[in-house]
Amino acid sequence: METIKAKLDETPFQTAGPFLHIGCMPNAIKINKIYQNDLGEIPFKDKQENELITIEGSVFDGNGVALDDVMIETWQCDEKGQFNEDSGFARLIPNNITKKFTLKTIKPGSYKGFDRKTYSPHVSLSISARGLNMTLNTRVYFEDDELKNDPLLSIISLDNVNSLIAKKIKKNSYLFDIFLQGDKETIFLDI
Amino acid sequence: MNAKSLIKRNYEKHPEIDFPDYKSSIFRAPKNRKISFPSSNTETIGPIFNKNIIGKLDNDLTLNFSKNKISPLGHKIIVYGTVSDQFTNPIKGALIEIWQANAAGKYLHDNDENPAPIDPNFAGCGRCLTSSSGYYEFLTIQPGPYPYPNRGIEWRPMHIHFSIFGKSFGQRLITQMYFEGDPLIKLCPMVNSIRNEKAKNSLIGVLDTSKSNTKNLLAYKFDIVLRGIKQTYFENRKEGL
Repeated sequence: METIKAKLDETPFQTAGPFLHIGCMPNAIKINKIYQNDLGEIPFKDKQENELITIEGSVFDGNGVALDDVMIETWQCDEKGQFNEDSGFARLIPNNITKKFTLKTIKPGSYKGFDRKTYSPHVSLSISARGLNMTLNTRVYFEDDELKNDPLLSIISLDNVNSLIAKKIKKNSYLFDIFLQGDKETIFLDI
Repeated sequence: MNAKSLIKRNYEKHPEIDFPDYKSSIFRAPKNRKISFPSSNTETIGPIFNKNIIGKLDNDLTLNFSKNKISPLGHKIIVYGTVSDQFTNPIKGALIEIWQANAAGKYLHDNDENPAPIDPNFAGCGRCLTSSSGYYEFLTIQPGPYPYPNRGIEWRPMHIHFSIFGKSFGQRLITQMYFEGDPLIKLCPMVNSIRNEKAKNSLIGVLDTSKSNTKNLLAYKFDIVLRGIKQTYFENRKEGL
């Protein structure tokens, strides 16, 4: 195979800063006149409540404080493991009081990748906030799925793989906290 | 069927994550190395956004929040450019969202403690999709510089925040555009978290006098490059194709 060389450098990142809501989720901060809806309000349209799962959690800094100015973007395939370019994306910010974000979505299916390997169900996350010079990426897997053959999880040592696995707290409901620093620092990915 | 893979990020041309000169990074920047792995479907297919989400005034920040067509304070500028990938291919349908302070350096946001006045006719929020040649254009107001608490009070150079989606989640980019000639750029710890000079300079919008003269407005050109995606075609194509 011929190797194609990149001609240009990727534009560098800069922090999204504390006011990212203005550009990304204006309706969430009561700038209501401009966009009819904020982008990514619901990941999949026309789904019934009983088809949905909930993933909730907080993003903690190195002092153990839950961030309230963070934006989390999520991206996933559908229940059959199919990526549809126009659905599966959501944007979340933590609740003012509880400091928890809540994703209501369908449980993604597993899929066979380009590499013919089978990926366990997961949701991809992109995390932006003041203090983060680059967006951080990670994945949410689910503890009640078969995970041992997943191509990503199998290259991560057992000690810290747990930071990528959401805990089931009740039927259709999962907990996924994100730790930016400290003993429990979440695994972030160079995607 | 084709396999897609993203070109690996060159972190030397990006900001340092753990950069104490930018105080907010001290307790937020992760300390461990990121885990690298080959691109999968998740990183290389979508999301893509439909043009029906874009309203007529979404890329005109001088009108999209104005009452009775009153112009916001400050001078109007055009910010434009192209979005391409690292192979120089223009990216059609890339979603660009921008946000910025008003002419006085104030954001329309409860958390902005700068005592400068808000402008009732300016929200500082805009978006558009790129054309088939990757072109985008915004009409807005020159944002003011502003003080913020960092190592004592420091000043942010004039800037516009950019969020860009190309064709895949792995191309996602959030950055800021600065303005040519602003003396505050070289003092800014967020800019200086990028060590590479060429990379740093690529964030500076360049004054385009020819476009400025045609439109009778100052115009700044800011080209954006997203990661390249390599495609490998499997040899299982039907005969004759």
